[in-house]
Amino acid sequence: MPSILEAPATRLACTHCGDDCPPEPLRLAGQPFCCAGCRTVYELLDANNLCAYYKLDERPGLKVKEVELPGRFDYLDSEAVQAQLLAFRSDTRASLTLAIPQMHCTSCIWLLEHLPRLNPGIVEARVQFLRKEITISYLLAVTSLREVVQLLASVGYEPQITLAELGAQPHRASRTLYYQLGLAAFAFGNVMLLALPDYFSFVEELQVGFGRFFGYISLVLALPVLLYSAQTFFRSAWQGLRQRYINLDFPISLGLTSLFSVSTFEVLTGSGPGYFDSFTGLVFFMLIGKWVQQRTYDALRFDRDFTSYFPVAVTRLTPTGEQSISVKELQVGHRIRVRHQEVVPADAVLLRGAGQLDYSFVSGESTPVARASGELVYAGGRQLGDAVELEVVREVSQGYLTQLWNNPAFAKEASHNSLETYANRVGRYFVALTLVLALGTLAYWAGHDASKMWRAFTSVLVIACPCALSLATPFALGAALRTLGRHKLYLKNAAVVETLGRADTLVFDKTGTLTDTAQAEVHYHGRPLTEAEKQLIATAAAQSTHPLSQRLAQELGSAALSLFMCREVPGQGVEAAAEGGLLVRLGAAAFAGHGVSQPASPRPTAKPTTAAAPPEAPETRVYVALNGEPTGYFTFHNVYRPALAALLARLGRRYRLAVLSGDTDAERPRLQALFGPEAALHFRQSPADKLAYIAAERARGHAVVMIGDGLNDAGALRAADAGIALTDTLTNFSPACDAILDASEFGRLATFLGFSRACLRVVLATFVLSFCYNGVGLALAVQGRFTPIVSAILMPISSLSVMIVATLLVRLAARRHHL
Amino acid sequence: MTIIFLLIGISLLVALMFLAGFMWAVRSGQYDDDYTPSVRMLFDDEE
Repeated sequence: MPSILEAPATRLACTHCGDDCPPEPLRLAGQPFCCAGCRTVYELLDANNLCAYYKLDERPGLKVKEVELPGRFDYLDSEAVQAQLLAFRSDTRASLTLAIPQMHCTSCIWLLEHLPRLNPGIVEARVQFLRKEITISYLLAVTSLREVVQLLASVGYEPQITLAELGAQPHRASRTLYYQLGLAAFAFGNVMLLALPDYFSFVEELQVGFGRFFGYISLVLALPVLLYSAQTFFRSAWQGLRQRYINLDFPISLGLTSLFSVSTFEVLTGSGPGYFDSFTGLVFFMLIGKWVQQRTYDALRFDRDFTSYFPVAVTRLTPTGEQSISVKELQVGHRIRVRHQEVVPADAVLLRGAGQLDYSFVSGESTPVARASGELVYAGGRQLGDAVELEVVREVSQGYLTQLWNNPAFAKEASHNSLETYANRVGRYFVALTLVLALGTLAYWAGHDASKMWRAFTSVLVIACPCALSLATPFALGAALRTLGRHKLYLKNAAVVETLGRADTLVFDKTGTLTDTAQAEVHYHGRPLTEAEKQLIATAAAQSTHPLSQRLAQELGSAALSLFMCREVPGQGVEAAAEGGLLVRLGAAAFAGHGVSQPASPRPTAKPTTAAAPPEAPETRVYVALNGEPTGYFTFHNVYRPALAALLARLGRRYRLAVLSGDTDAERPRLQALFGPEAALHFRQSPADKLAYIAAERARGHAVVMIGDGLNDAGALRAADAGIALTDTLTNFSPACDAILDASEFGRLATFLGFSRACLRVVLATFVLSFCYNGVGLALAVQGRFTPIVSAILMPISSLSVMIVATLLVRLAARRHHL
Repeated sequence: MTIIFLLIGISLLVALMFLAGFMWAVRSGQYDDDYTPSVRMLFDDEE
């Protein structure tokens, strides 16, 4: 029974999650809550004296949407699953690391680290915030893995336990870079100390006596730097070469190798002090660049396998009873039970029950699709309502989604797309230029002064080492990624900034991208309703968690009535009675007594989500019956996002625009008006059509950015130079896109693209800067006057100034774009 | 001036000790997460 309270004048923010409360918020100790889920979490925390959670950050909670299901985590009791998840296990204790993508603030850390207070069986909980992971140790005698996960889910932090993780161990922090960095720093500092006497003439006698000794020590110190710290660059260059591809690491490796060999030669022959200080310093600075890159990547890590979205275990029905098995063991012919809120793991035929499948994860369509017995159900749909029985007709690996994914046409040419950055392209010209210059110098000095010949040759190779170049990209684009991340555009890696900045064609998906499904226009058809009836309908709808009911309640939005009776039939509708005796039924045609107009389909027909669905299903309906008498129905029309017109006006000036929609062309005039006469609009596009369109655009030399959502767009998102997935809930990622944009920030897309272009200009500016240094160095080098002291000054200055200039210029660009 | 050999040796030895200390810190996981501890130390442990 709902609590009855007076309607507040203004909307209140939920104490737990900060969402708008309904007109009649649930309350506890005077605090408003938007839903029972949030209130439950608050109650739990309050009872355990954990309310500091609400003090550290304002309204930090996560909306607890999923209804608690008995048996949802039962598979965690299975030994096989535990063996794969647990990192450590003794007779009394076990520990494991879980990924919790929802964690987002200080309060999250605080609550998660105070889990032992909620469950005394948990000994320790440690959060790794940047990786969004938690390491939990628990006592086997007191609690179990299932209880731990259940506890996490009940406070709104359901861990992501996935197939992917079942196959591989959870991500482990790589410490190699730290070792390499430490070693390089150690060698750099000490070699510099030993090289110092060489730079000052007043200690010449010192140099005479100890020069060779210092040289040998420097050699010994620099050797591990070459062999261990600089390994990354050599390996990357070698990998590039094997793919017949020259990346930026190739000239770097060339420069480092020649620098080391010249120095070794000079020290061993006693002809000079060598450049070991420059060598170790270079490696140190470049490793700092790598470290910055890695940190940025870690902070924004969302690159998850699509298999993450599939369930880990399913309930198999056998003659002897139910059995929880791993999805990987699922075979054709198996009968499975899929309960409320569970995902269908493989294509299957519905045997028993009313299928209400929410394909929003697959297609972005928020309206559930109804399926009757005997019909085919595709993998990836989430069942809403009662449990259903299914018979698997295709194995998991051959499921629809997997097929879509595994299609070789969908695989992004990794070597092409992620490595083809400016720096790498510049790197290639660099190599050519350097070799020509070096050989030219060699030839010149061979004719004039043979004693200077080798020195000049090697110093050209050394100075041409584009280390400043390699630093420009991680620093400039890393700063850009962080700026964009603050505004809820999350990029997979730095290369995406470049792609966005270079783009000239924007392709939009319609449903869920241009339109806002949560803002669907609601219209009523039928006999007019009185105010009291509307009120009753709104109150009844508010009791249901179904998206359509929620939308309806929001639309009618009148003050709550006190209900005499209320029940929800999952997959059918809601029935409620007011205290006055008025009875209302909301929902499917059959449920509300509209048997004639919508036969067979228990819930309103959804828009087509798969090829199998009927092609023409223009709108979604919810039927109403009052006191058993059918009165009419509500239709739901999608509306375009509010910022769309302004956004398109800005984008249209610079970009070629296109729309690819799976729907009919009923919206063509409206879209054409929005997008302008030149935009290409394509309707009735299958995922393969979308893919083909984008491939064709790219083949014509356009840099294409696809903005879409869901897995059905996934092919197109991958095929595009950059795919941006639009999501309403950031925890609900679309897999394998290049960027994720929070739907609320959709209107600022033009700003983001403009900022990306600015960042690209910053990278180019830093390139110019580092070329200036290289130019000065080269001028000295070809004359054979590139001495160790020049090197020791020029190299660190160029590296440091490039780092600083890159970061500052990106900040400036951000300010100019009001980001 | 031969004392310099000894002094350099000692300075290198000290530096190596610091390097070893750093390696130990990395190995014991102190660099795995450099954000959370900065927040964690600010939590009050009220009961």
